[in-house]
Amino acid sequence: MNPLLEMLLAEAPPTVAEIDAFVAENEFPLVEPGRVTFVYRGEADEVLLRRWISGHSTAQPLERIEGTNLWALTMDLPDGSRFEYKFEVLRSGTRLLVLDELNGVLAHDPFGANSVCQGHGYGRPDWTLPEPDSRSGTLDRLLIPSRAFGERREIQVYLPARFRETRNYPLLIVHDGRDYLRFAELKTVLDNLVHRLEIPAMIVALTQSPDRMAEYTCSEKHARFLGEDLLPAMRETFPLLQDPANCGLLGSSLGAVAALHAAAQNPNTFGRLFLQSGTFPFTDLGHHKKGPALDPVVKFVNAYRAKPFRLAERIFMSCGVYESLIYENRSLLPVLQGQGMQVNFEEARDAHNWENWRDRLRSGLTWLFPGPLWMVYE
Amino acid sequence: MTVQVLLGPQTPHPNLASALEAVAFDGPIVSITAGWRDSEGETAEIEADIGQPIEDLGLYHRAEQFFAVESAFLELHRARQERLQELQKLYRIRLETAISAARELLRTQGDPELLRLEQRAAISQLRALDRHHLRRIAALHQDFDQQRKTMDIPAATAEREAVWERVNKAGLVLIAGGHVAVLLNRIRLFRLGELLADKPIVAWSAGAMVLGERIVLFHDNAPQGQRNAEVLDAGLGIVKNLVPLPDAKTRLDWSSRSRMALFARRFAPSRCCTLDFGSMIRIEGGKVTAARGSEVMQRNGGKKGLVAK
Repeated sequence: MNPLLEMLLAEAPPTVAEIDAFVAENEFPLVEPGRVTFVYRGEADEVLLRRWISGHSTAQPLERIEGTNLWALTMDLPDGSRFEYKFEVLRSGTRLLVLDELNGVLAHDPFGANSVCQGHGYGRPDWTLPEPDSRSGTLDRLLIPSRAFGERREIQVYLPARFRETRNYPLLIVHDGRDYLRFAELKTVLDNLVHRLEIPAMIVALTQSPDRMAEYTCSEKHARFLGEDLLPAMRETFPLLQDPANCGLLGSSLGAVAALHAAAQNPNTFGRLFLQSGTFPFTDLGHHKKGPALDPVVKFVNAYRAKPFRLAERIFMSCGVYESLIYENRSLLPVLQGQGMQVNFEEARDAHNWENWRDRLRSGLTWLFPGPLWMVYE
Repeated sequence: MTVQVLLGPQTPHPNLASALEAVAFDGPIVSITAGWRDSEGETAEIEADIGQPIEDLGLYHRAEQFFAVESAFLELHRARQERLQELQKLYRIRLETAISAARELLRTQGDPELLRLEQRAAISQLRALDRHHLRRIAALHQDFDQQRKTMDIPAATAEREAVWERVNKAGLVLIAGGHVAVLLNRIRLFRLGELLADKPIVAWSAGAMVLGERIVLFHDNAPQGQRNAEVLDAGLGIVKNLVPLPDAKTRLDWSSRSRMALFARRFAPSRCCTLDFGSMIRIEGGKVTAARGSEVMQRNGGKKGLVAK
């Protein structure tokens, strides 16, 4: 048991006032090197910890502490870990998923919010927070006429601070761009890394698919949209460096598959790929269990594994070790490396979520697009 | 005797205005801000800070203009730059091995008598490699200069003469920081070395680096991890026996004594001097006559305040 909790329970069951003081004085969950203790306070018939991570049971019961309305669960957790969770509370026959009321740290995603467990040694990177000295880039909207989709698509465009028409910039295209802005602080990260000279000033095109399950699952139309609609429109509108080394794709989950697929369909176009927690399912035997929506992805990944080829000059992959996709990512890594591409792979003690992807942005972007830091002494 | 004043980064806390008080000068102020590249000449903030007008020499943009019309010169320049970059890569390969050996020997425990000689030998090899690299670079520059002499480049010549005229009339030259390779390149391209040696100069960050005898690149806290400090090129040699280290608080890993010790010993007898916010080193006749907020890296990996002599 956590020593702080042990102290509280050392003698007789604590009074309400003592529990109030305990809750007020501590941060929850209770974190120690190598382990963490979750505490729930309230009347219930059962309380479970629900985690969206792979490799552990997704639901673990908290134990009621006798004579109190406190529930607790202590578990091992490697230092530096981070994951998101909720409590599942059973009360009078009703099951509810609730946030941890004792923990103010929340992470948001398109489905809502989760409580965040930050293991011993985890700290939110400073470059993900607004820095007062960083100049702010701008976000504008651009309508792209798309022959591939037969309609106009609106995208957002990030222009770096002190943007100049007379200068040429690298281009990064980001799938699920709005989500990257809202949940992974992409604009703040870009502003900071450009300001720190860790990446060059760059233009970023942020796309948002209206149907990602269809378009990000190896859709030919989507690959044509990127290569034949979006890229030419960006080059026509903005001063861009034209070589593949200055043109990249970023995506997470299915967005990473869409990036890999688009690079395969548009050879010598996208020289930099940033693939976060990519969904790269494959089958060596039999049928996959991912559902029919992912049939095209499995087909693409199987075909690529059978006959791999060079897709880009540099690829940066990242994946959380607490997500099932780690197996697929680790499997793809040697296949990509075997094609003479420079491939960097970063694993994190995190799961399939936006803050994991946020925390990997610096290592990925600075490796794919190194800034002038080494040469610049302001 | 001419005076040079070396400063650290000027944003967000400039000390240029107070540095100007340490220099007696008569005549207009000109600036070299080629290290800012596209932002060259944007000196309004500096002018407001010092309360005096500045004429920027526009080396970066002038070169862009004459390169646009003198394509053979541009080609010669580009070829030289590509060879310099290639040479730097080759140097890095040898540097990696030499510096790893020296670093390992500085960390190794053992018979002090045996160890000392091996450490010295490893550092000597490192210095020899740096010297060799500088010789190779000098040969490339010499080759470039000889070929340039045979070229008919009226636009470049006119721009150079215009710049020389302004420098000759100037009472003080400011050299700003920025991209150190670009800055050095442009100063060389306009052959300003000798002219600058006779002028009072206030230079900061990369500007201070180019005034030294050799330019040392360094960053221990880069996002992709620590890199080995490397010699980029010879500087203008106006400031002797001193290796300026701008923003050293941020860029160097002072917690690693052996790393800092190797840095100091590699470039000795030159003194490796930090230039952080608020730092100022005044040099007159080759001697440090005033110093504030600058520290000298020590042989043991520590640092001591720079003291005027």
